[in-house]
Amino acid sequence: MSQVEKFHYDNAIVKKFAYATLLWGVVGMTVGLLIALQLYIPALNFEVPWLTFGRLRPLHTNAVIFAFVGNGIYMGVYYSLQRLLKARMFSDLLSNIHFWGWQAIIVAAALTLPLGLTSSGEYAELIWPIDIAIALVWVIFGINMFGTILKRREEHLYVAIWFYIATWITVALLHIVRNISIPTSMTHAYGVFAGVQEALVQWWYGHNAVAFFLTTPYLGLMYYYLPKAANRPVYSYRLSIIHFWALIFIYIWAGPHHLLYTSLPEWAQSLGMLFSLMLIAPSWGGMLNGLLTLRGAWDRVREDPILKFMVVAVTAYGMSTFEGPMMSIKSWNAVTHYSDWTIGHVHVGALGWNGMLTFGVIYWLIPRIFNTKLYSIKQANVHFWLGTLGIIFYAIPMYWSAVVQNVMWRAFTPDGFLVYPNFLETVTQIIPMYAIRSLGGLLFLAGVVLGVYNVWKTIQTGNLVANEAAEAPPRPAAAVAEDKSHWHRWIERRPIQLLVASFVLVAIGGLVEYLPMAFIDENVPKIETVTPYTPLELQGRDIYVREGCLGCHSQMVRPLRFETERYGEYSKSGEFVYDRPFLWGSKRTGPDLAREGVGKLKKSDSWHYNHMLNPRNVYEQSIMPAYPWLITDDLDISTTASKIKVLRQLGTPYQEGYEEIANEDLAKQAGKIAASLRADGIEQEGLENKEIVALIAYLQRLGVDISALPQAEK
Amino acid sequence: MYKYILQSVENINWLAVASLVIFFVIFIISALWAFLSKKEFVDRMANMPLEDDE
Repeated sequence: MSQVEKFHYDNAIVKKFAYATLLWGVVGMTVGLLIALQLYIPALNFEVPWLTFGRLRPLHTNAVIFAFVGNGIYMGVYYSLQRLLKARMFSDLLSNIHFWGWQAIIVAAALTLPLGLTSSGEYAELIWPIDIAIALVWVIFGINMFGTILKRREEHLYVAIWFYIATWITVALLHIVRNISIPTSMTHAYGVFAGVQEALVQWWYGHNAVAFFLTTPYLGLMYYYLPKAANRPVYSYRLSIIHFWALIFIYIWAGPHHLLYTSLPEWAQSLGMLFSLMLIAPSWGGMLNGLLTLRGAWDRVREDPILKFMVVAVTAYGMSTFEGPMMSIKSWNAVTHYSDWTIGHVHVGALGWNGMLTFGVIYWLIPRIFNTKLYSIKQANVHFWLGTLGIIFYAIPMYWSAVVQNVMWRAFTPDGFLVYPNFLETVTQIIPMYAIRSLGGLLFLAGVVLGVYNVWKTIQTGNLVANEAAEAPPRPAAAVAEDKSHWHRWIERRPIQLLVASFVLVAIGGLVEYLPMAFIDENVPKIETVTPYTPLELQGRDIYVREGCLGCHSQMVRPLRFETERYGEYSKSGEFVYDRPFLWGSKRTGPDLAREGVGKLKKSDSWHYNHMLNPRNVYEQSIMPAYPWLITDDLDISTTASKIKVLRQLGTPYQEGYEEIANEDLAKQAGKIAASLRADGIEQEGLENKEIVALIAYLQRLGVDISALPQAEK
Repeated sequence: MYKYILQSVENINWLAVASLVIFFVIFIISALWAFLSKKEFVDRMANMPLEDDE
């Protein structure tokens, strides 16, 4: 036996990530509470651009996913990876670049999103310079992780590390593919994918952000910290092997379940639904593996708040991974999609699975790296109950709201008319549910604040063991011959093979879904009346993107009678060929806008002007924020040329040289809209130069192309 | 279900078939992997997180 080597684990970096997790957790959830309140108290938008719901919602989602859970992942990984490999992190410098780089990205996101700088894809909103920074920091994390794995003293890689490796490679792939775009300026770019193809890429990305950022790394944490906290090995290591391979392979296919009944081709929808249903098997395998780890230790769950947090986390994982596949069944999806059901579902996952596991790990880990005991078990128990009640008070009103609203959306009179033709009636009905939901959020946040206090008091009673002494024999130089009998160890011991195998598996799913969409023309039938946006409409559309309108308004009429009756002609894939970004949305807090410019939904220009100035001028009970700055701010037309140029490069048929004269067309169209506003009695100096005119041009364009088509061809 | 999917994407049959085959192969391999592993090895792996406990 070789000599034992002495070395030190780096706890200082774990501490940093733990602090960042707590800080961003409080920030992200506070913003969440604010936007929950804004949904029934519109005055809380303060008529300030950077405080409106549309801009803050992506800040909330990004803060919780990438700042709170992101730092939670790194905290958990940096602690467990060192110990499972019996090695200090590869490079302290890289650890710190990773830490500070990630925090800088979060700060950049927290500044740009409220400023309206967004590329609009859900959970991929950040602008291209930040996207590049994310890729670089992610690569540094990867080098640091693989460097540690390569210099490890432990021959075999525990299953948690497999989950970390799969996370790293898949997130890299998702992030790069989703964000490929051509810049028009330092803060704006158009993506290379458009319309229905972008929708497919978006939800391949979006769903797998849930899968490979919120799930697989946390499963790795579960496989390490749950045995630690319970002080017994995982129930079945064999099951964890199957769990891993089945999960990463199946997950990557499930994205299209976000697009059921949309203009995505049927075969892609069916594929997404099928794989989503299959996901129950590995997900529940993993959940049961976690819960059964506690067999014979359930008495300790009563005493130990850490185990309580973990049990609720794993149970929430089980609930949301059962609920998710159910929501992927088309007939049930017709109810849940666009409704608050989705919001309830994601919060069972985010608050229950990620939130509760994060705090279980923090309460376990902080006393260890500070060589002390948790300051107050009692407070941790109170936190646990606040968190658990918070989740219940959050989720149930959302489910209730979804059912109520669906019943109202679908109600027909005996004569075949909608009972509630005014969408707002279906909104005012669910306001009480929104109020109870914000109470749930407040409870959860209160628990988190108490947790922060408990952690703060804990660290005061201890001292950080920045470099924790450890010893282990070095890894044998060459693979030992006796292992040849076990063929699977070829991969088990070799991180690079594991990396490649994970990559190949997730790449297959993505390619099989995307390639037919890209190369088979029948999947996106052309519609002859669909033409590119005019320069003014294009600028108006980018204002729509900037204000985050798609957070509340979809642009996708599903082929369901209660939708075509309310909105008009159902949406066709060929309508979106010039849409960059696509704006189908996934939530209807307000009505769908796909047919806003035609038929019975069409309003006058002055209606839009007054409505944007203050929606309460038009509907007393409206919960939409007011947008007075659109009325007063001048439209920036200096960007028109570069936008037209980039869009032509991407295949939009603007004529060569059109960018030179585009602003002339823009001025003409703006003049017409300004004239129509004046005709309706709106007097304002320089009206034709204001942002509102561009937005009105865009809103009036919605649905126009498809209605120009002769009836027989629809 | 698969038949339906295959019919509706005539030109890319081989993609769908290949995916199905790959899925089954992965599943079988990982199951074999799990169940053919020796008990001592599995026990040692399962106990790995607990090794550094005092």
